[in-house]
Amino acid sequence: MSSKFSTGLFAAALPFAAAAAPESFTIDAYHSFPYFDTVHLGTSVIRGRFEKISGKLVLDTAAKTGTIELTVPTATLSTGDNDKGSRPRSRDEHLRSPDFFNVAEFPTMSYKGTATKWHGDAPATVEGQLTLLGVTKPLTLTVERWKCGPDPRTQGKRYFCGGNATGAFNRSDFGMKFIVGPVSDEVKLWISVEAFRD
Amino acid sequence: MQEMLANPAVQGGLAPFIAALTVTALLAPFRLGGLAVVAAFATAVYFIAGFTFEPLTATRKIILLGFAAPLAGIVIDFAFRPTRFEAWALALAGGAAAAWIFWPILAPKGLERALLPGGTAVLAAAWTVGFSHSRLAEDGVRAGAAGLALGAGAGGAAILGASLTYGLYGMAVAAGSGAFLLVQMIIGRKIHAGATFMLAAAFLTALLAAAAMILAQVPWYAVAALALVPLAASLPVNAGAPVWLQALLLSLFGFFVAGIACALAWHAGG
Repeated sequence: MSSKFSTGLFAAALPFAAAAAPESFTIDAYHSFPYFDTVHLGTSVIRGRFEKISGKLVLDTAAKTGTIELTVPTATLSTGDNDKGSRPRSRDEHLRSPDFFNVAEFPTMSYKGTATKWHGDAPATVEGQLTLLGVTKPLTLTVERWKCGPDPRTQGKRYFCGGNATGAFNRSDFGMKFIVGPVSDEVKLWISVEAFRD
Repeated sequence: MQEMLANPAVQGGLAPFIAALTVTALLAPFRLGGLAVVAAFATAVYFIAGFTFEPLTATRKIILLGFAAPLAGIVIDFAFRPTRFEAWALALAGGAAAAWIFWPILAPKGLERALLPGGTAVLAAAWTVGFSHSRLAEDGVRAGAAGLALGAGAGGAAILGASLTYGLYGMAVAAGSGAFLLVQMIIGRKIHAGATFMLAAAFLTALLAAAAMILAQVPWYAVAALALVPLAASLPVNAGAPVWLQALLLSLFGFFVAGIACALAWHAGG
């Protein structure tokens, strides 16, 4: 009786113990991309993305805590204009130059954040620090969608989380002041992330 | 007005030219007309990037050195007698400045990949600064023509190499040198350039071209070609010819070499 009781108590406590433990996740580089957009000459929105990203998430849904660390190799940016045609350089080459991302001198940008608001089991707001061009400034991300569960591609053997988060910053705050005005100062970010539990 | 000041042609050309023209006209009687280059460059920096030096990037190091060079030039012009040793020391300083700016960027690439751009940057800076000081600084027209062609060449090559910022800074040096030259052409006599002018023009253009090579896409041989501009500005012209004619001829010599540098940058992109 005593043995049954203790076993039952242990079984009842197990989910809480498991849920309370922070879980570590590694970014899935094949399904995670930071996108950005700016307004060109006050008219159209030019969109681009970075082709690579790496990082870690640590989530504790029971305690409603979470952290994220992302690193982006800036040379992987693409706005779809890689072919210079009759021009001396393409737009992507120009974006990699010191006029904008200065990728030779600053090969990575990074974001470190903490989930500060939650909707149920999903983080809703992440407050953190964006480091770009050697300058670190606060950046708040709003999580638009978030879901965790077994990965259907592995018949549930792997557990993963994923979603989208958005934010915006002024590039001039980071020293990216080239033709602010003709190319908007405000840069909108849209980060898609999927991550596998370690 | 705000829209006009945001125009790159105003930021890198017209505004620096007006600032340099004012400085040359006001300070030439005091043998400080050479401050035209730094006046033009500072005007461009004000409009394009602002006077922020944190973090200390390669571009900001160049800006700092661009401001320091004419100050050192004033000391050299007014406190020292010219010696042969001076040009060697300044050449060494030019090479050391290039190493200070670019070594942190090149070092992680490994020696094999860093050697060509790093060596080109150091040698081009050392040569441009040393030769310009020893052969051009004492002649206001030659110095002005060299600054004009160096600035236009560095600026043009940088624009073709995907960096409009370096392009505008180069053009600002050209605008400042052009203003310095124009005053001499109008008054019909040479004015003192000295290290105040030549150090700023040579340091800035050599370092901007090197930055456009290492951080953008200007090929190393375009930077090497640009370093020959001071040589072109030292070619003989009739010393008895009118100042405007000397200025014209020497500028054309310089532009020819700067044009080759730009053509090489263009060709590398195509």
